[in-house]
Amino acid sequence: MNLPKKQSWRRLHSRFEPGFKRMLLLSVAIHFLVPVLYTGVLYFSPPREKPPVYRVNLVNKPVKNPQAGRPEASPKKKKTVTKAKPKPKPVVKSKPKPAPKPKPEAKKVVKPKPKPEPVAKPEPTISKAQEQDFQQKIEAMRREKEREDRLAALRAELEKEREKIAAETPVGEVTGKGDEEGIAYASFVKAFITEQWRLSKYQLPSLNLEAEWKLIYNAEGQLIHKKVVSGSGNKMFDDSLLRAIMKSQNLGRELEEQTEFEVTFNLREMQN
Amino acid sequence: MIIGRKVLLLLLTLLFSVSSAGAVKIEISAPGEQEIPLALTSFLPMGTAQPEIAAEINAVLQADLGLSGLFSLVDRASFLSDADKLGLSSVLVDFSQWKLLGAEAVIKGGYRVEGGRLIVEARLFDVISRRMLTGRRYIGKPEEARRIAHTFADQVMLSMTGTKGPFSSRIAYISNRTGKKELYLMEVDGHAPIRLTNHRGIVLNPDFSPVGKELIFTSYKKGNPDLYRKEIYAGREARLSHRQGLNIGGRYSPDGREIAVTLSKDKNSELYLLGTDGTIHKRLTNHWGIDVDPSWSPAGDKVAFVSDRRGNPHVYIVDVDSLEVKRLTFDGKYNATPAWSPNGERIAFARMENGSFDIYTIKPDGSDERRLTFGSGNKEHPRWSPDSRFLVYSLDRDGEKAIYLMRADGTGNRRISAAGGDDSHPAWSGYW
Repeated sequence: MNLPKKQSWRRLHSRFEPGFKRMLLLSVAIHFLVPVLYTGVLYFSPPREKPPVYRVNLVNKPVKNPQAGRPEASPKKKKTVTKAKPKPKPVVKSKPKPAPKPKPEAKKVVKPKPKPEPVAKPEPTISKAQEQDFQQKIEAMRREKEREDRLAALRAELEKEREKIAAETPVGEVTGKGDEEGIAYASFVKAFITEQWRLSKYQLPSLNLEAEWKLIYNAEGQLIHKKVVSGSGNKMFDDSLLRAIMKSQNLGRELEEQTEFEVTFNLREMQN
Repeated sequence: MIIGRKVLLLLLTLLFSVSSAGAVKIEISAPGEQEIPLALTSFLPMGTAQPEIAAEINAVLQADLGLSGLFSLVDRASFLSDADKLGLSSVLVDFSQWKLLGAEAVIKGGYRVEGGRLIVEARLFDVISRRMLTGRRYIGKPEEARRIAHTFADQVMLSMTGTKGPFSSRIAYISNRTGKKELYLMEVDGHAPIRLTNHRGIVLNPDFSPVGKELIFTSYKKGNPDLYRKEIYAGREARLSHRQGLNIGGRYSPDGREIAVTLSKDKNSELYLLGTDGTIHKRLTNHWGIDVDPSWSPAGDKVAFVSDRRGNPHVYIVDVDSLEVKRLTFDGKYNATPAWSPNGERIAFARMENGSFDIYTIKPDGSDERRLTFGSGNKEHPRWSPDSRFLVYSLDRDGEKAIYLMRADGTGNRRISAAGGDDSHPAWSGYW
C-alpha cells in the first residue's frame, strides 16, 4: 500500500537529526554564494580604463603625500640672495716702456717653379645600368636622410615640450593633495621597475599575458620580500619579470616607510 | 542558527579581505625596452688562431640574431676584459662586467681545428640570473663554420622563445642568371646559391617536401608545363604529372603524402590532389572559374587557393573532405598567391592596389587583415619560415626582381638574393 506523499516526507524528515535542515540550507547557500561572489556576477565592475601616461622623473624623491603637480617635473632651484661684493680700488700702474721695433728682414727671392705638364684624364667607363644603380642609391640615401631629419626635428620638439613642463610646473602628482614636493611611491616604483623590464614581443605567442607579484621595500628602498601571487603561464614572460625584479633590488632612493606593493604586469600597452 | 550566521559572516569577511590592508597597487602594462641587450663576443681560439673562422661565425650570428628582432647588440667597443676570456661555464664568466654594460644576455664561445675537423663550443648566458641558458659543441669541417653558426642561432631562438629558429633551413627560388629560368637553392641569408636544374626553359613554383630533401616544381622542359620532383642531394629527377595543359602550383600536404596542384586537363583550371606517384586521388574544385595557387592548412584538412569564380581573383578555402568552399578575402580587386603559416594562425597573400602588389596577412576566419609591405615595386609570392616568424617574398622594382626576407609583422626587410639575376618565386624549406 503506498503512503501519501505528506506522510512519507514526514517519515523521511523524522530520520534526520534536529537542526540538520538548517545546516543543509546554510551549506547550500554558501556553496551558491561563494562562486557568485568570486565571479563578480552580482556586482558591476566597470571596464578597466587605460590610465593617462606621465613620464616619471626618477631624480625626484618618492614621498607619501605628494603635492599637486607633475611627476616628470624637475625640482625648482631655490634663488639664493648674495651680498654684492665691494668694488676693488683702482690700482695706478706705471706705464711700461715700449718694446723696441724689430729690424725688417731681407725678403727672400723665390724662383717660380716650372708648371707640370698636363696629364690626360682617362674617360670613366661606367655602364648605364651601373649609373642607374648609383642614382637609385643616391635617391635612397637622400630619402633616408630626409626621414632622419624629420625624426630629429620631432624629437627636439618633444624634448622642448618636456623641458617646458619641467620648468613651469611643480613636482608632484596630477591628483596629489598633499604638501610634499616629490612623486608618489607607486609612480616611482612603477617607473623604476618598468625601466628594468626587458621583453621582446617576438618571444611571446600572445600579448594576452598577466602576472601579479607582491613586493615589500623597506624605508631604505631595499627589496626585502618578493613573491609571485599569480604567474602568467608563459615561461619567457615570467622569467623576464623575475629579471626585472632582481634588477630592482635597490631603488636608489629612500621611502619614508616600509611599503608593500601589489604589482600587476601585463602587455596592454603593446596590444593593438 | 546563531552558529550558522557566524560562519557565514566569517566566510564573507574572508572573501572580501583578499588584498592586504595598506598595499599599494601598481599596474605595469609594457616593458621599458622591447629588445634584450645582447653582448655577442668574438669566439676565441682554443688552439691555433684562425681569425677568419671567428669572423665568419660572428658575422652569421650577428645577422641572424639581428633579424630575429629579439635583441639589441651591445657595442663591442665597450666590452671589458671578460670578452677576452673563454668562459665556457657560468662560474668562469664575470657577470658583473656584463651587467655594468647593461647586457642581459651574453654569447661566448671558442673554436679549434684539429685533424681537418672544426670544433666549436658555443654558450648563451643569462647575465641577471648568472646562469647558462644553452650550450652546444659542434663538430664539422672548417668550411662549415657558417652552418654551425646558423645552427647555434636556431638554438638561441629556442632558448629565448621556446621555438627553434629557421636559420639553418633553405630557400629555393627561380633565377634567370644563366639566361633561362632555372631552380636554385640558397641558405636563409642568401649565401652559397647552387643551381639545381638545367632545363634550359622555364621553371616555376618550387615547393619543398616536408619529409625528405626534395622539391617539386613546374617546368616547360618538354614544351608543356609539367610537374617534376627532384631529390636535392642525389640529383634524381622524375616527371610526376604531364597531363595535357597545366600542371602548376604543386604543394605538398603537411604529411608529405599528397600534392595539391592545378590541372587543366578538362579544359578548365581546377584543383586536384595527387599521390606522390602522380596519380589523381581527388578533385577538389569543380567550377567554371579558374582555380590556382593552392596552399595547405597545417592540419592538412583545408586548402586555400585563388579563384575568379565571382569575377575578380580572390582567396578561397576548400575543405578537403567535404569540398565546401568559403570565401576568405573580400577587399581589393586582385588577391593572389596565398600561403598558410605553419602554425595555422595566418594566411599571407599578395593584393594589387593602385597598380602594384603588396603582401598582406589575414586570419583563416577572415578577420584581422594587415598590410605588411609598402612603397614602390611589386611584392608577391610570400612563403613562411618553418617557425612562422618570417616571410620570404619576391620584389620586382625598377626592372629587377630579387628575394627579400621580413619578420611576420612586416619589419626587418632585407634583400637576400645577390644582384645580377631576376630572382622570384621563393619557397622556404622545413627544418633542415
